[in-house]
Amino acid sequence: MIRAVIVMNDQGKPRLVKFYEHQPVEKQQEIIRSIYGVLCSRAENVSNFVQADSTFGPDTRLVYKTFATLYFIVIFDDSENELAILDLMQVFVETLDKCFSNVCELDIVFNFNKVHTILDEIILGGQVIEMSSSEVVKAVDGISWLEKNPNSIIRVPKSISGWQGR
Amino acid sequence: MALSGMRGLSVFISEIRNCQNKEQERLRVDKELGNIRTRFKNEKGLTPYDKKKYVWKMLYIFMLGYDVDFGHMEAVSLISAPKYPEKQVGYLVTSCLLNENHDFLRLAINTVRNDIIGRNETFQCLALTLVGNIGGREFAESLAPDVQKLLISSSCRPLVRKKAALCLLRLFRKNPDVVNVDGWSDRMTQLLDERNLGVLTSSMSLFVALVSNNHEAYWSCLPKCVKVLERLARNHDVPQEYTYYGIPSPWLQVKTMRALQYFPTVEDPNTRRSLFEVLQRVLMGTDVVKNVNKNNASHAVLFEALALVMHLDAEKEMMSQCVALLGKFIAVREPNIRYLGLENMTRMLMVTDVQDIIKRHQAQIITSLKDPDISIRRRALDLLYGMCDVSNAKDIVEELLQYLGTADFTMREELALKAAILAEKFAPDLSWYVDVILQLIDKAGDFVSDDIWFRVVQFVTNNEDLQPYAALKAREYLDKPAIHETMVKVSAYLLGEYSHLLARRPGCTPKEIFGIIHEKLPTVSTPTISILLSTYAKILMHSQPPDPELQNQIWAIFSKYESCIDAEIQQRAVEYLTLSRKGAALMDILAEMPKFPERESSLIKKAEDTEADTAELSAIKLRAQQQASTALVVTDQRPANESPQVSQLAMVKIPSMNNMENNSVDQELTQANGILGEVEPQPPTHAPDADILGDLLSPLAIEGPPGVSAKSEHNIVSGIEGPLSEDDALALAPVGEQDNVVKPIGDVAERFHALCLKDSGVLYEDPYVQIGIKAEWRAHQGSFVLFLGNKTTSSLVSVQAVILPPSHLKLVLSSVPEIIPPRAQVQCPLEVENIRPSRDVAVLDFSYKFGTNMVNNKLRLPAVLNKFFQPTPVSAEEFFPQWRLLAGPPLKLQEVVRGVRPMSLGEMANLLNSLRLVVCPGLDPNASNLVATTTFYSESTRALLCLVRIETDPADRSQLRMTVASRDPTLTFELKEFIKEHLVSIPTASRPPPQPQIAASDPGALLAGLL
Repeated sequence: MIRAVIVMNDQGKPRLVKFYEHQPVEKQQEIIRSIYGVLCSRAENVSNFVQADSTFGPDTRLVYKTFATLYFIVIFDDSENELAILDLMQVFVETLDKCFSNVCELDIVFNFNKVHTILDEIILGGQVIEMSSSEVVKAVDGISWLEKNPNSIIRVPKSISGWQGR
Repeated sequence: MALSGMRGLSVFISEIRNCQNKEQERLRVDKELGNIRTRFKNEKGLTPYDKKKYVWKMLYIFMLGYDVDFGHMEAVSLISAPKYPEKQVGYLVTSCLLNENHDFLRLAINTVRNDIIGRNETFQCLALTLVGNIGGREFAESLAPDVQKLLISSSCRPLVRKKAALCLLRLFRKNPDVVNVDGWSDRMTQLLDERNLGVLTSSMSLFVALVSNNHEAYWSCLPKCVKVLERLARNHDVPQEYTYYGIPSPWLQVKTMRALQYFPTVEDPNTRRSLFEVLQRVLMGTDVVKNVNKNNASHAVLFEALALVMHLDAEKEMMSQCVALLGKFIAVREPNIRYLGLENMTRMLMVTDVQDIIKRHQAQIITSLKDPDISIRRRALDLLYGMCDVSNAKDIVEELLQYLGTADFTMREELALKAAILAEKFAPDLSWYVDVILQLIDKAGDFVSDDIWFRVVQFVTNNEDLQPYAALKAREYLDKPAIHETMVKVSAYLLGEYSHLLARRPGCTPKEIFGIIHEKLPTVSTPTISILLSTYAKILMHSQPPDPELQNQIWAIFSKYESCIDAEIQQRAVEYLTLSRKGAALMDILAEMPKFPERESSLIKKAEDTEADTAELSAIKLRAQQQASTALVVTDQRPANESPQVSQLAMVKIPSMNNMENNSVDQELTQANGILGEVEPQPPTHAPDADILGDLLSPLAIEGPPGVSAKSEHNIVSGIEGPLSEDDALALAPVGEQDNVVKPIGDVAERFHALCLKDSGVLYEDPYVQIGIKAEWRAHQGSFVLFLGNKTTSSLVSVQAVILPPSHLKLVLSSVPEIIPPRAQVQCPLEVENIRPSRDVAVLDFSYKFGTNMVNNKLRLPAVLNKFFQPTPVSAEEFFPQWRLLAGPPLKLQEVVRGVRPMSLGEMANLLNSLRLVVCPGLDPNASNLVATTTFYSESTRALLCLVRIETDPADRSQLRMTVASRDPTLTFELKEFIKEHLVSIPTASRPPPQPQIAASDPGALLAGLL
């Protein structure tokens, strides 16, 4: 199970914080601080894995990936595969890239609410719901459309999800 | 989307960004929170748009790390907004801000339900997302059926169904009863046929959760998983959007292989073959390429395949192939793959037979200890620690010592501890062990805890041969210009005790020794001064004939410290001064320390406590149990008296346990023998794991309280009389006290019962011996290996193991050596053959001599009825003809069993499954009944199918009706009784009350007593 997804910049400022197990706000901040402390001292060309059990308890792992000025961090337990989590982050970032066309930190800062919406289409309750970024983009586009046309009768545009394979 | 028109939010974020420091940010946030609070208070004029904006601001502030303790109601109320934009914000923010126990969430439960059962799919998605993220028990109870309906509905779109799958998973976690095992295995089978990969991905996650909870119910899904793998990895039957860097949905491949690891094995030969074909393809067809993302994805699949191969315990050939792959990985450029290569190699250690192949990569692993990435260095350390055994301990520990000099600060403590443990566990000889620990103290004194040097002292004290060597080494270190304080402590202690053994060597006269130790005194802390004073007293005692000059020097020091502000030092000084004036009496009082009782290494215990990575640890632990090593095997941490009632029963159940008082040394007693202060009529006050050096020093430095001064007099007096012989000590000890037997560690009966349900583990353990067991069963035959481990540093002699077989078993035990060398483990194969059905139990009569004491135990061997079962699922077409054919007694027996211990139907099914009776769901139309089948093997009956039906009464769980049928009347009867024993209360408690002792020489009577 995925316990948390955190995006922060290279100054340690949180840009997206989503815990899948409730943590009080102080604890969240403590976790973010301690992760930043570890990550900012890591060299380039090292692995993407960091021991996390001191912050999250035994059997938890932390995988991070840097994209420009941002750290993407996923904390999860031993029921997940580390490298597959890296794939997941890549899918998340590729999706952001498609939704914001060339995503940068500012996009995420000012559209944190949209980033939440996108994340909700990828991970639900700590489990991955969709790994195809084109499917996620379709779903998010559908939501955007609904936001702009709140009175529409067609609830789900046909493009969100085909009927293929059923 | 949300950005459009939300100017207020953007402005607020900009302002926060423009804050120069944290203080300004806080002021801005406080201002905004005040503003929001006021706006929420006067709800009039608050448009849905405003509400939405403020709620987003709240979430932003929350993310920045400020507590937002109001406005939750407003967020929740947006959920019931009629229009999508507000509703969406309400759902999203609520699931971020609130936790599952929040009261407001309960208020929303109805709206959420209406959205789920309503016909609006977008609303369904929102509601499912909320429940999937933060739904609690209450949601589980009221929403589970609706969510299930959505998941299996054929009219729902994939977008809704995949959310329903994960939502159900959340509800299942909150309350496992919401997924009814019986019905769900079929549904799950269907879900795994799903063509849409999004739905299949979610369903697979749900399946992993269900199967990890109870794999037995989902056997029918196993071939489906293999089909999914074939579809993805072999047929590449995947739509383009699910191909990730050319690989067909790596995520789903990984999840599917993970699911398969929850099944103990893959039995069906065809399924197994197909699975291994896929795995082989993955293992062979993965190369390291340039694209990092592609590498990650392909290796995610590869590492999962490796884990599955390991789990399925594939043929040795495939295993060697895996190790070869891992060997390649730990040397590649890609750091992630190096990391996982090392981690998986550590896991691989669990698999027997491959350790030797792993050892071939030792050089590369040692190189990884110098990797630029600390994460990789840690994995390398773990692996080296795990792979260490007697054959390579010297190399590995020396590498660790060398690395210690340059290692990061953050790793040193762990490194020092691991080196110390390995040195202790696998020392080829004890002088090497002393060398290692002294080097460790020399190189990383700050990281060497007291435990480590206490342990050296214990070893040296207990091994006379080692004493001159240790003293010499300590003397050598003292010559170094600057040494760590711990080194001062340990060398002062060792030289105080044993420097007289060096008397003829240059630089080792008492005077010289005293001189060089005393040089250190000005630099050390108070606790060390106490140790030095004891050393001086010992040196003084050893300088025979007395050297007046040395005596005066030492007396001067004692006199100086007589007025020391530290009570401990002062007391020692006063007492040593007085004692050393007593002349000959001094000799006895300050005589050499007696041997320590053997006890579990506190170091290893500590390592267990501090060990963070439990996966690796359990691997190592498991290996320690399975594998022969000279290790002092890590013991179960569970206190022996965890369940007092049961352990009492255990004490009486095996009659011979009662006559152990006279044949064992107790730890307390050994101390009593050595440490006169403890032979007081009052019970020993310290806990068994009390600081051992505390004990060690107590006769020298008598504790302060007034009540104890009498004791110290007693000390001196008995000292003059000469040391007590062991017999005296025995006589002084309270007779018949529970403490005076060799107490088994852990509950013997519990261990036996655990082993009835599994095939390897610890059968018996006490402070000196550990008996492990590993068994394999094939039809009516079985082979055990008994692992007899000597945990102590002395030899166990007169070791005897005799099998007392019941009449239905043929047992052949290979010869057991009479002597088990210190810290060694011997393996004794034991062959078992089952002649006919019976519930009687074989007994291992095990005895050994430790010191002068015989220890004898009669241990039941877990060669019980169910070990000769082979779980055999039976279809309805096979079952019913058989069931009808076996018409009545004596082939088919029925009994109403009362006093059944309370358990749910699921628990009962698990129990039957663990007895190797496979529960066949769906055979009995009544959901509160269970039907189970198995095949029994014995020489006389050959293979016989057994059929069991249990009819429970949902209204009264304490009774049930059981029907057992087979073609052998004895088997039917024995099986019926056997199951009954397991159903009626905890098996241990159903044993008869205490019985009179039975002569141990009569196996028949003994067996009767046992049963």
